[in-house]
Amino acid sequence: MYLSREEERIYEGEEGWAYQIAMRILVKLGDLFEAERLIPIESAHVSGVSYKTLGDAAIEFLEALAEEGAKTRVRSTANPAGIDYDHLEEMVDLPVALQRQRRIIELYRGMGISPVLTCTPYYIRRPTEGAHLAWAESSTVIYANSILHSWTNREGGPSALAAALIGKTPDYGVHKPENREPSVLVRVEAPLRDEADYGALGIHVGRMLKDEVPVFEGLSGTEETMLKHLGSALASSGMTSIFYPCISCRGSRADLERLIVGLDDLNGASEDLSTVNREPDMIFIGCPHCSVKEVRRVALKLRGSRVRDGLRFWVCTSRFVRRKAWRYVDIIEAAGGRVITDTCAVVTWLKEIGVDVLMTNSAKTAYYAPTMNGVETVYASLDRCIEAACQG
Amino acid sequence: MQIELKGRPVTSGSAVGEALVSKKPISFLGGVNPETGEIIERGHDINGHLLKGVILCFPHGHGSTVGSYVLYSLVKRGVGPKAIVNEVADPVVVVGAVIAGIPMVDRIDICRIRTGDIIEVDGDRGTVKILKRAGTCT
Repeated sequence: MYLSREEERIYEGEEGWAYQIAMRILVKLGDLFEAERLIPIESAHVSGVSYKTLGDAAIEFLEALAEEGAKTRVRSTANPAGIDYDHLEEMVDLPVALQRQRRIIELYRGMGISPVLTCTPYYIRRPTEGAHLAWAESSTVIYANSILHSWTNREGGPSALAAALIGKTPDYGVHKPENREPSVLVRVEAPLRDEADYGALGIHVGRMLKDEVPVFEGLSGTEETMLKHLGSALASSGMTSIFYPCISCRGSRADLERLIVGLDDLNGASEDLSTVNREPDMIFIGCPHCSVKEVRRVALKLRGSRVRDGLRFWVCTSRFVRRKAWRYVDIIEAAGGRVITDTCAVVTWLKEIGVDVLMTNSAKTAYYAPTMNGVETVYASLDRCIEAACQG
Repeated sequence: MQIELKGRPVTSGSAVGEALVSKKPISFLGGVNPETGEIIERGHDINGHLLKGVILCFPHGHGSTVGSYVLYSLVKRGVGPKAIVNEVADPVVVVGAVIAGIPMVDRIDICRIRTGDIIEVDGDRGTVKILKRAGTCT
């Protein structure tokens, strides 16, 4: 890989260990994927924030970077943590976790990474179309590439952090136009009624395609919320980091391989996402974190109803969106729900707060929660979630 | 007679030690006890083995990118491997080796190495030398 004189200097350690290690991470990854050089990025989004998934190992590394005075060189944001400190009554009562989670957030903040603690940082500030980014968190990455038309590889926590400190990323993968071209045409021959159908479609197609670039034909609609659910599901079961929601979004080539998706495929994927058919003890909306529009939708459906006693009803989003949507937040909380920020059901402690069955309208959550949280799942649309919340 | 296997240099440095060979991918997050360096993934072919001081040979990594931090932490605590030999380097393990500061080589046919062999990894030349064969095969 070609390095400028300045990059070479950092690589050799002339700006200290922290920048040297960051540069080494970028260069080694660049070599691995045959990048030619480093390119400047507009922003970085760092995953690896929740103490629940991170454990102690990362704290030691972050402490070492902080001691060396590492600071970011571009606008950088952080993914959700494991605790919402404003709703401690809803959180796990584990002093060690509370204290270490705080330390992790402090360490990132100290390096200049804004603790927005959300997987939808694009609701706070949209990246520029065509800008190169180094974003981690697969749902955020696929949204950036496919809906916001920014360019980012699917970074991991450490590589996004390294890119934040250097302000650059190696130019491989979807930073190259040829790797953003559609490689498969996905024909959807079934109506998609709601976000749960879009999510089921994403899980099915992700499984079939792995890291291909799909272009869809026949989606019932291309509303951003629906595409967010499609994308986050695609990126969960597959390695996809970009898709095109319609043929007119991208000139279709006649020679593309085709994948036909029918109603049976959707129903199959949807059924797989429920592990039981039991009453939930938590209903979770907000994976990926809700937009103002989604918070509003929940509020309007919940208005005048009451979440039954003993059931946790969580709507998760960023503090930014919660503030903007305060009118709707009041409605949801008056009905017995909670609008939780800075975390979500998947990256916080569920079993420990007594959750065994989790109901959600998120395909990504239903896909991961059985292994990551050890809970049973019930997968259903927002309408059915609200019905289940208020009955009895 | 010494056997020298030629691969690709990934991270620099060299190390001599006993090989621990697995035919299965390893996820450092969840698959390894971060305190003790013991392989804890159920059904894994080197389950129960300790990584301390060994040269860890396996096809490639998988799983969460937090795994890179686990590898760093293992090495810092003195319970991690001395070096890594892979068939195909993947980002999680490469970043882990970079931040832990241990030598790594890939594109090696790890079937040529047996657990217990004394081997030398040269991360600058991209080679693995088998200095002494183990008494028994595993």
